[in-house]
Amino acid sequence: MSVRISRRELLEGLGAVGLAASLSSRLGERRAWAQSAPDYRALVCVFLFGGNDGNNMVVPVDAAGYSAYAAARGTGAGGLALAQSALLPLAPASGAAAYGLHPNLVELQTLWEAGALGVVFNVGTLLAPTSKQSFLQNTVPHPLSLLSHQDQQHQWQTALSDQYSRTGWGGRIADGLPGAALPPVISIAGNQLFTIGNASSPLALPAAGGGFGLGGFDGSAEADARLQAMDDLRMLQEQNLIVQATQSQASRALAASKLIAPVLTGNGSTVDGLFTGLTSSIAKQLLQVSRIIAARQTLGATRQIFLVSQDGYDTHNDQLNRQGNLFADLSPALKAFYDATVQLGVAAQVTTFTLSDFARTLQPASGGGSDHAWGNHQLVLGGAVRGRQTYGTFPTLQLGGPDDFSGQGRWVPTLAVDQYAATLASWFGVSSADLPAVLPYIGRYPTADLGFLG
Amino acid sequence: MDAETSVPGSGRRFLLLSLLLALGCTSSAPPAPVSLDPETVRFLEQSTFGPTEALASQVKAQGFSAFLDQQFAAPVSSLGSYPAVLQGPAQVCPAGSDAGCYRDNFTGFPPAVQFFRNALSGEDQLRQRVAFALGQILVVSGDEVRSTYGIADYQQLLLDNAFGNFRRILEAVTLSPAMGRYLNMVNNDKPNPAAGTNPNENYARELLQLFSIGLVQLREDGTVVTDTGGEPVPTYDQSVVQGFAHVFTGWTYPTLPGATLRTHNPVYYRGPMEAVATNHDLAAKALLGGVTLPAGQTPAKDLGDALDLVFQHPNLGPFIGRQLIQFLVTSNPSPAYVARVSAVFADDGSGTRGDMKAVVRAILLDPEARGASKIDPDFGKLREPALLVAGLARALGVQSDGVFLRNASAAMGQDVFQAPSVFNFYPPNAPLAGTSLVSPPSTLLDSTTVMTRSNVVYALLFRNIAADTTVAGSTGTTAPLTDLASSAADAAALVDRLDALLMHRTLSPPMRQAVLDAVNAVPASDAVGRVRAAAYVLGTSAQYQVER
Repeated sequence: MSVRISRRELLEGLGAVGLAASLSSRLGERRAWAQSAPDYRALVCVFLFGGNDGNNMVVPVDAAGYSAYAAARGTGAGGLALAQSALLPLAPASGAAAYGLHPNLVELQTLWEAGALGVVFNVGTLLAPTSKQSFLQNTVPHPLSLLSHQDQQHQWQTALSDQYSRTGWGGRIADGLPGAALPPVISIAGNQLFTIGNASSPLALPAAGGGFGLGGFDGSAEADARLQAMDDLRMLQEQNLIVQATQSQASRALAASKLIAPVLTGNGSTVDGLFTGLTSSIAKQLLQVSRIIAARQTLGATRQIFLVSQDGYDTHNDQLNRQGNLFADLSPALKAFYDATVQLGVAAQVTTFTLSDFARTLQPASGGGSDHAWGNHQLVLGGAVRGRQTYGTFPTLQLGGPDDFSGQGRWVPTLAVDQYAATLASWFGVSSADLPAVLPYIGRYPTADLGFLG
Repeated sequence: MDAETSVPGSGRRFLLLSLLLALGCTSSAPPAPVSLDPETVRFLEQSTFGPTEALASQVKAQGFSAFLDQQFAAPVSSLGSYPAVLQGPAQVCPAGSDAGCYRDNFTGFPPAVQFFRNALSGEDQLRQRVAFALGQILVVSGDEVRSTYGIADYQQLLLDNAFGNFRRILEAVTLSPAMGRYLNMVNNDKPNPAAGTNPNENYARELLQLFSIGLVQLREDGTVVTDTGGEPVPTYDQSVVQGFAHVFTGWTYPTLPGATLRTHNPVYYRGPMEAVATNHDLAAKALLGGVTLPAGQTPAKDLGDALDLVFQHPNLGPFIGRQLIQFLVTSNPSPAYVARVSAVFADDGSGTRGDMKAVVRAILLDPEARGASKIDPDFGKLREPALLVAGLARALGVQSDGVFLRNASAAMGQDVFQAPSVFNFYPPNAPLAGTSLVSPPSTLLDSTTVMTRSNVVYALLFRNIAADTTVAGSTGTTAPLTDLASSAADAAALVDRLDALLMHRTLSPPMRQAVLDAVNAVPASDAVGRVRAAAYVLGTSAQYQVER
């Protein structure tokens, strides 16, 4: 099969290159960041769709803390409290563990003990530092549409909670990256705002095992003519904006497929074996990311941002089983992925982090589940993570207590998405001077570095 | 109003197209297909699963309004009859069961296959389109409600009520046990202080946010009301969600035939949910707009009053109307278009609010749907996967048992009746990157699926898809293309015929030339091969896939 690639197609295929160049000329002084360090770095976002119940991901294990937790979560029928004895202690380097992980996060406990895993407490969508009092008295601006899945997913991905942003902070980081053969943002989770920049567009790839390429061309004269006509139609200047966007999407895909299709077969991959026996979607996505990182030099990639996702965290009912099953998929997949980065010699150059819509109410809802809440705990993983530590302030697990704005256990966040994202972006190579281009409201917070990377 | 006389500019455009055709077409092609009326073809793209030459001729003769009347009266198609399966997979499909056992009893696969069969050949095309749109607004997914008969009954309910009143649709959906299971209204207990549990908020929240009024206050034209600081004004707050959550307590699954009503009936999806007064919260409930329902009402009275409030809310017309426009006509309707539809939603002309027939008629006969807006840069919509594959199959005379069409739609990201969440396959406000537009279906168009879409078109045209032996009655999917092949000796005639049928004569000269080149590369002796080449190039083009 032969596909001719026109100049326009090549430019589109390069994604960030041509477009970012035009953007920087528009913005005048916009600098490309992350050029000083020649080494490889990657951010891997794991989005837990539906609103992961952080209250059962990290649980106090000390007597007083667990007792408050169990009282609010309920231990009888319809209750959500995990048994104290089942929790996996998160022992710090010295001293006793104050917190434990959900019992199905066995592999993550191992990573914690290896110093590769950190936990960031009570992060959320904000527009300014906010307390329960200032929130309830309306003396600070509120994020739009709190407790709504779609809006909160978007705001975690955009870090712009006062608007319907059309770009995400992953894409905005990519806006400033130098050109590369492939788009620097690769989603294994389809189109998500996180991946879209002002000028850069993501490449969306299937999870391991999925096909990526155009079929039906055997090199015959008839097939070549058909391909030619297809190319011609894609290259025609059209007035309709949706047609244009559809043409561009096809052009980018065809250009990228030439480069990356061989990598996606997994043939000759040295990392596939680490995922043996893991059949979940999240494992197949992370395997695909591993293969691409393994081929980073062939692909000419020096900075990459990946998005993978796991669905199903909207546990309004039967939460203990459902979240448990999801964690049983997530934990070994993250471990296999971390092990892959170790084997590839890039463990300290790849940082993996979670995002999710929101936390869930500490108080159970009818049906053995929980409802939508706000501030939530997140996991950060990698060789560059200052692991075996927690960051931020753990909320007081008390219904109607100092962190709960609704009486059902919805925590007012003590850290902003902006700060969490800034810590990751800075490590990735965005200078402090350039941070506001990625995270416009970062200046509202006392620090842009939560300290979990370095 | 006669829609066909209210199309500004279309006459001139038609003349121009005729001139181009006359210049480019020097053959003695069969004239009949080329006479297909472009505006009728467009109308059928919006009101059916896609035009066929026969249907376009019929509708051209009878007129749009008469066609709508005929469609409103057409008998409702059936998604099939499925026995109530009361046991779980372990009992129904023990080890050694047929390969399709789980799929045929616990997923939406069987009704989805029937959905495509009906889309291909059912007479009630408009009802099917509207029900499909409703099912993507009032979402229940087989991804979570793992019951074939439950999913089929729910989707049939939408078909049955598609041309009724929206108040009735709201109530039928609210009391559907499949919805009850999906969003946890079934067996939703009143507050239990001893156990420390609250009523479940899931249905309450999504009813308001997704099924009726949305998060922010809207004007009749669908634009957002903002406060003095420029921020959108919320429609309700968390306390209202909790009020509705308390309203929706005390309902359980329908009582099994021969059984007695219990507080928590066992799972059963046939018929509406049933009230259990003793499990209903009796306190007063603060709802929308400062209205508080008094204490002590029955479950049914509370529910009816709450749905009345939602139904009367001024957001309902623009919120639902705009989405129906997006599903049927265009992703970015003008505020004036939305306002015209909202006005009909509010009053069908005889004082009735929520009359779906009137709303659908208003959407399809609106000057913006019918008029010169079609050439605006922001007009139209990307064909969602189910419509892409069904539309091509109908136009090209594909013979299918529905299995391949269902599978193809799923591969392109739209697994019919199995949406990934209550937010459907895409949100109505999904931004189109690089523009200021929204394009909900483009959410499903990424660098992987854009090629999948081409591969699906290829398979539809070039492969004979064999029967799936695990599906009862499967016959496979084939595209004989014999009728179109009768025009293929003359490449120009073939392209003209497909231009009329697929593109309602919008092929530009360079586009037409490109297709002609592909056709001419196939020897005239291979008539079917010529049709395949032309239909492939057109069907995979962005110009076709974005319906305008």
